[in-house]
Amino acid sequence: MPSTQKPMRYGHTEGHTDVCFDDTGSCIVTCGSDGDVRIWENLDDDDPKSINVGEKAYSFALKNGRLVTAVSNNTVQIHTFPEGAPDGILTRFTTNANHVVFNRDGTKIAAGSSDFMVKVVEVTDSSQQKTFRGHDAPVLSLSFDPQDVFLTSASCDGSVRVWKISDQTCVTSWPLLQKCNDVINAKSICRLAWQPKSGKFLIFFIDTLSIVIWSPCGQYVAAGSVDGCIAVWNVDTQECMERMKHEKSYTICGLAWHPKGGQIAYTDTEGNLGLLENVCNKDGKKSSGKVSSAVAKDYNDLFDEDDDFLNTDLIEPRSSPKVVSNEEEEEDDDLMLASGHPRHRGAIIEDDENSLDTALMKVNSNLEKDDDNDQDGSIPVLPISTTQRPFYDGPVPTPQQKPFQSGSTPSHLTHRFMVWNSIGIIRCYNDEQDNAIDVEFHDTSIHHATHLPNSLNHTMADLSSEAILLACESTEELASKLHCVHFSSWDSNKEWTVDMPKDEDIEAVCLGQGWAACATSAMLTRVFTIGGVQKEIFSFPGPVVSMAGHGEQLLVVYHRGTGFDGDQCLGVQLIELGKKKRQVLHGDPLPLTRKSYLMWVGFSAEGTPCYVDSKGIVKMLNRGLGNTWIPVCDTREYCKGKSDHYWVIGIHENPQQLRCIPCKGARFPPTLPRPAVAILSFKLPYCQITTEKGQMEEQFWRSVLFHNHLDYLSKNGYEYDENAKNEAAKEQQELLMKLFALSCKLEREFRCVELADFMTQNAVNLAIKYASRSRKLILAQRLSEMAVEKATEMAAPEEDDEEEEEDFRNHLNAGYSSSTTEWSQPRVRNLYEQDMEDSKEADAVEEVEEMPEMQKFSKKLLGQVGKFTPIFVSANQKDSTAHSANILDNMSKFSKNTPTPNSRAVNKQKSPVIKPLIPKPKSKQALAATFFQPRPPPAVDKTVEEKEEKAENTLPEIQAAATENKRPKTGFQMWLEENRESILADNPDLEEADIIKEGMSRFRVLSSDERMIWTEKAKGGAASNSAEAKKRKRPADAKNEGKEKREEKSKEDSSLPKKRKPLDPSINVRLSAFAFKQS
Amino acid sequence: MDPAEAEFLAEKELVTVIPNFSLDRIYLIGGDLGPFNPGLPVEVPLWLAVNLKQRQKCRLIPPEWMDAEKLEEIRDQERKEDTFTPMPSPYYMELTKLLLNYASDSIPKADEIRTLVKDTWDTRIAKLRLSADSFVRQQEAHAKLDNLTLMEINTTGTFLTQALDHMYKLRTNLQPAESAQSQDF
Repeated sequence: MPSTQKPMRYGHTEGHTDVCFDDTGSCIVTCGSDGDVRIWENLDDDDPKSINVGEKAYSFALKNGRLVTAVSNNTVQIHTFPEGAPDGILTRFTTNANHVVFNRDGTKIAAGSSDFMVKVVEVTDSSQQKTFRGHDAPVLSLSFDPQDVFLTSASCDGSVRVWKISDQTCVTSWPLLQKCNDVINAKSICRLAWQPKSGKFLIFFIDTLSIVIWSPCGQYVAAGSVDGCIAVWNVDTQECMERMKHEKSYTICGLAWHPKGGQIAYTDTEGNLGLLENVCNKDGKKSSGKVSSAVAKDYNDLFDEDDDFLNTDLIEPRSSPKVVSNEEEEEDDDLMLASGHPRHRGAIIEDDENSLDTALMKVNSNLEKDDDNDQDGSIPVLPISTTQRPFYDGPVPTPQQKPFQSGSTPSHLTHRFMVWNSIGIIRCYNDEQDNAIDVEFHDTSIHHATHLPNSLNHTMADLSSEAILLACESTEELASKLHCVHFSSWDSNKEWTVDMPKDEDIEAVCLGQGWAACATSAMLTRVFTIGGVQKEIFSFPGPVVSMAGHGEQLLVVYHRGTGFDGDQCLGVQLIELGKKKRQVLHGDPLPLTRKSYLMWVGFSAEGTPCYVDSKGIVKMLNRGLGNTWIPVCDTREYCKGKSDHYWVIGIHENPQQLRCIPCKGARFPPTLPRPAVAILSFKLPYCQITTEKGQMEEQFWRSVLFHNHLDYLSKNGYEYDENAKNEAAKEQQELLMKLFALSCKLEREFRCVELADFMTQNAVNLAIKYASRSRKLILAQRLSEMAVEKATEMAAPEEDDEEEEEDFRNHLNAGYSSSTTEWSQPRVRNLYEQDMEDSKEADAVEEVEEMPEMQKFSKKLLGQVGKFTPIFVSANQKDSTAHSANILDNMSKFSKNTPTPNSRAVNKQKSPVIKPLIPKPKSKQALAATFFQPRPPPAVDKTVEEKEEKAENTLPEIQAAATENKRPKTGFQMWLEENRESILADNPDLEEADIIKEGMSRFRVLSSDERMIWTEKAKGGAASNSAEAKKRKRPADAKNEGKEKREEKSKEDSSLPKKRKPLDPSINVRLSAFAFKQS
Repeated sequence: MDPAEAEFLAEKELVTVIPNFSLDRIYLIGGDLGPFNPGLPVEVPLWLAVNLKQRQKCRLIPPEWMDAEKLEEIRDQERKEDTFTPMPSPYYMELTKLLLNYASDSIPKADEIRTLVKDTWDTRIAKLRLSADSFVRQQEAHAKLDNLTLMEINTTGTFLTQALDHMYKLRTNLQPAESAQSQDF
C-alpha cells in the first residue's frame, strides 16, 4: 500500500526550516527562519504552540524534554519542552551554528557552525565542551554514531570527516562533496545519518539529495532531495519502497521519522510542512524480492537516473581501512558511502526566472519530473513502482505557455503593470492595505488619471483611447467577469460588466476601436461593442496565449499543438471586424525563435501586427509578401548585460521606433522607480550589414517594409499621409540609385539591371543616364530595353481600357482597386484620390500585392514617361520601329529633358522652351499607339478633339498649356532645341533659364542668313502642322470626358514629336557624334 | 552678471521630460523642439521643462547625475581634493534648484539630493573664499581656477573684483599721498 501524502501546509515564513517529532511522536515540532519553534498536534493543527527562540532558528534538536536550538545570535541555547522556557545557553560561536544534534541518550549535543568549528557539549554542564577543528569551511551537518564514539561532520570544504569524540582527532576524511564557500551556496545541506542501534552504516548523499534519515527500526532509509523528492528504501533488500514529489518541488530541508515509524514529516525551504503517512506499512511491503544484481545499480535507479537527479554511484567500502583501525567493532563496521557525480541540471528554460514565466517554469519542471517518473517506471529493478509507464526517450514536449496580456508584468507581483501600451499605463497594487488599480494616460487629453478599487481581483486589463477593459478569473462563488469602463461614452453610464457562463474563465482581453473582445477557457472569442452589446462569438482551435486589437483588426494567438524541446507551437488568426468582415490570417503558425515563447503581441501604431518572443526578436507582418513574418529587430543586440532585457511596449512604423523599457538584469520593469522609455531602431537581418551594399539593401527593404502600412491603409479606406508616402518612394528610389551607382562602380552590370528593375521609370531614366555617362553603353542599352518593356507592360492594360472600357473597369475592381481611381478619374487631378467604394469592393488580399507596383507605375506615368516616350512616336513616324529606337535617342531625350528639374516653372513663365507640359497620360497613349498599330494615328483625332474641347472650354488650364505648345515654334526655339546639347555640354550645370539665356546670346551671334534659315524652317513646320490638322479633321468618336482629357494631353505630346520631326536627322547626327566620343 | 542671469543661461540646458500631450515639432529661434509624443521622452530646454511641469503637462526625468549615490561620491571627492573637481554639469546648482523646486515629485530622494548638492556647493564656495583670501594675501597678480561654474564665479566675482579695486585704490592713494608730499617738498 503506497503512502498517502497529505497536502502541505504553511508552517513558517520562507526560509530554511527543520522538523522532528517529539520523543513520543505525539506532536510534530518545526523551526523556521521566523525564529519560532512550533509544536503541532498534527498536520491540521491550526493553532500550534509557538516558542520564540530568536530572530532566526537554523536548526534544533529535541530530546528528553530539552529543546536545543541554533539561532542567529550565534548561540546554541536550551529551552524546556514543551513549555518553552529558556534554560540557558549551551555554547557560542563566532557565527551561527548550522546544525545541532543530540547523541542517542541525549546527554550531549554537537553543533557545527559557519566558523568552521564543531563543538560537543554536555547538555547538563555547558562547561564540558569539546572543540573539533579541522574543517576549512562552514560545517553543514553532524551526526553522532549510536555508540557515542564517533562524530561525523560534513562541511562546505567538500569533506566528510569522522572524529573520535574522546580525543577530538579526525579519524578519517573523505573529500566527496562539492566545494563551496558558504552554506547558502552549498548544493545541499548534506545531512548525515548513522544507522540507529547498530551503527553499521553511515549514509549520506553527495549530490542533490540533501537529507537522509534512518527509520527508528533501522531498516529503512528516507531521503529528501533539493528538487523536492522524497524516497524511502529498504536497506536490506535495497528496494525502493516509496517515492513522492513535493507538490511544488521546493527543496526539502527537514525530514523526520515518527518514533514509531509509519510517518515522515518534512519541511521545505519555503516554510511549508508536510506529512507522509503509512510509510512502509507491513501490508505495503510486497514480497517482490527482486533484488538488483548490483547494489550500485539499485541505488542508482531508486532515484531518477537522468539529468536532474543524482547519479549515485554507491561505493561500498567493505571496510574502510582507517575507520577499521580505530574501531572496536570494526568487523561489522560497514561504511556505506554514497557518492555521486555532480551533474549539472540541463535547464529546459534557460532564461532567468524572474520573468513572466515563473508559472511556466513550474509547470515545466513538473512535467519534466513526470517524465522522469516515466523513465523510472520502466526500469524492471523497481518493482514497487505504482505505475508502469512505457519508456520514452524522444523529444520532450514543452509545457504550453500560460495566457498573458501584452505589456503586463507577472500577476503574482504585488505591484505590477497590467498594461503598458501607447495609450497609457494600468498598474495594479495588491498589498495588505490596498487592492487597487491605477490608470494613467500618457496623453492627459484623452482622460485624466483614474484610481479604481479592485475588489473583484482583476488580473487582466487593456486600455484604449475609448475604454478601460478589466477582467478577472472566476472564484468559487463568482463567475469570471469582464468589466469595461467606457469613459468616452457620452451618456452617464460609463461602466458595464458581463459575467461569463459557469466554468468559463476569461484568459485574455483586448480592445479595438469600438469593440472589446475576450478569449475564454472554453476556447471562444467573444466580441462586444464598446457599449456592451454582445456581438460575434467564434471558436479558435486551441488554448489562447494572447490577443490584441487595433482599429478593426483582432489578432488571436493560441496553442496550435504541443511544441517539443522547448519550442512553443502557436497559431495566429487575424480577423477584420469592420463592416466587411474577413479573416486575413487563417490560423497560420506563428514562427517563434527556437526554444522561445511569446512575450508580446500587438499592433504597430499604424496597425501592422507584430510580436516579440523571449529571445528578443521582434517580428512584423509583411503584408507586401503574402502576409509573412519578418524579423525587424533583435533587442538583445542592444542589451549590455546577458541578463538585461528590453520590455517592449509599442512599435511605430513612421517614424520607425521600437519603444521599450530597458530592464537591468530582469525581463520586466518594476513599478517603482518609474521606468523610462527608450527607443530602439529597427534593423532587418540582412547579410553583410557592415558593407555599404548590405547597409543600403537593408535600408531599402526596411523602407519598403515600413511603408507597407500605407498601402494597407489606403486600401481599407483610412486616411493616411500622402507626403509620407511620397517621401518613402523618394527615399527608396534614392537608395536604389545609390545601389545602382555602387554596382556600376564594381562593374556589376547584371546586378545593375536587376536593381533597375526595382526602380520607377523615372529612376530608370536616371540610371540610363548614369550608365551612359559612366560609359557603360551595353548597360544603358539593356536598361533602355527594360524601360521600353516596362512601358509596354504598362501600356497593355491601358489599351484594353480603350477598347473595352467596361471590362477594364471590372478588371480593375477585381484586382487593382487603388488604381481604379487613376484610370477612371480625370488625370489632372490627384491620382491617389480615394474611391472608397471601389476599393471596398475589391478583393483586398490581392490588392496588397498589386498596389505598390501600380502606384509606382502611375507615378512614373505622372512624371516621367512622357519625357522619353515621345521619341518612340517620332521614331515610329520616321518609320523606324519603336523597339529599335536607338539608345542614343533616349539619351538625347534625357539630356534635353531630364536635367531640367525646374522645367515646369519655366513653362509657367511662358518661356519659349518646348516641353511636354503635363506629360503623364498622353505618353501612355502615344506609346500605345506605337505598339498597337490598328489604332488610327494618334495625332489625328487628337487635334480634332482638341479643337472640340477648346470650344467646350472645360479645362482652361490644360488648354492654355496646349495652346502654348501648339503655337508655332519660332526659329530661335528650333535652334535652341538643336543646340541645347552643345550648350549643356559646355556648361553642364546650367539651369533651364540659364540655358535659354545662353542660347539667346549664341543665337544672336549667328549670321542673319543662318537665322533666316531657322525662321523659315519654323514657319514651314508650323504650316505643315496646321495643314495636317485641317486635312485630318473628322467627326470625333463619342467618348467620355475622362478619355477626352487624356486624349487631349496625348495630343499635346504627339504634336511635339511632329514639330521635331524636321530636326531628327541632325539630332541623330549629333548624337552619334556624341556616342562616338563616348566610346 | 548677477545670479539671475546665470540662471537664465542655465535654463538653456536640455533636460528630458515625458510629455502627456501630443504636439508636432515646434520651431523656435533657438532651435526646433519636439515632436512631443505622450509617454515618450523628449529633450527640451530647462525653461520649457519647468513651464510644462508647472502646467502639469509633463513628467521630468532627472539628469543622470542627479542621483543620491553619484552626488555623494562627488561631494566626497570635492571634500577630499584641495582643488576644484569637475562638476557633472556646468549648471549643476541652477539645475538642482529649479528641478527640485518645481519637480521634486518626479525626482527620487529629492531632499537628500538637495542636501548633497548644497554640501558640494558649500565646500566649493569655501575653497573659493580660501583661494581668494590667499590670492589677496600673497598679492598675486593673477591666479587660475579650473572647473569653476558660472554661478560660482558670480558669487564672488563682483565682490572680489570690487574689493581688489578698492584695495588698489587704497594702495595707490597711499603712494600718491607720498608723492604729493614729495611734490610738496
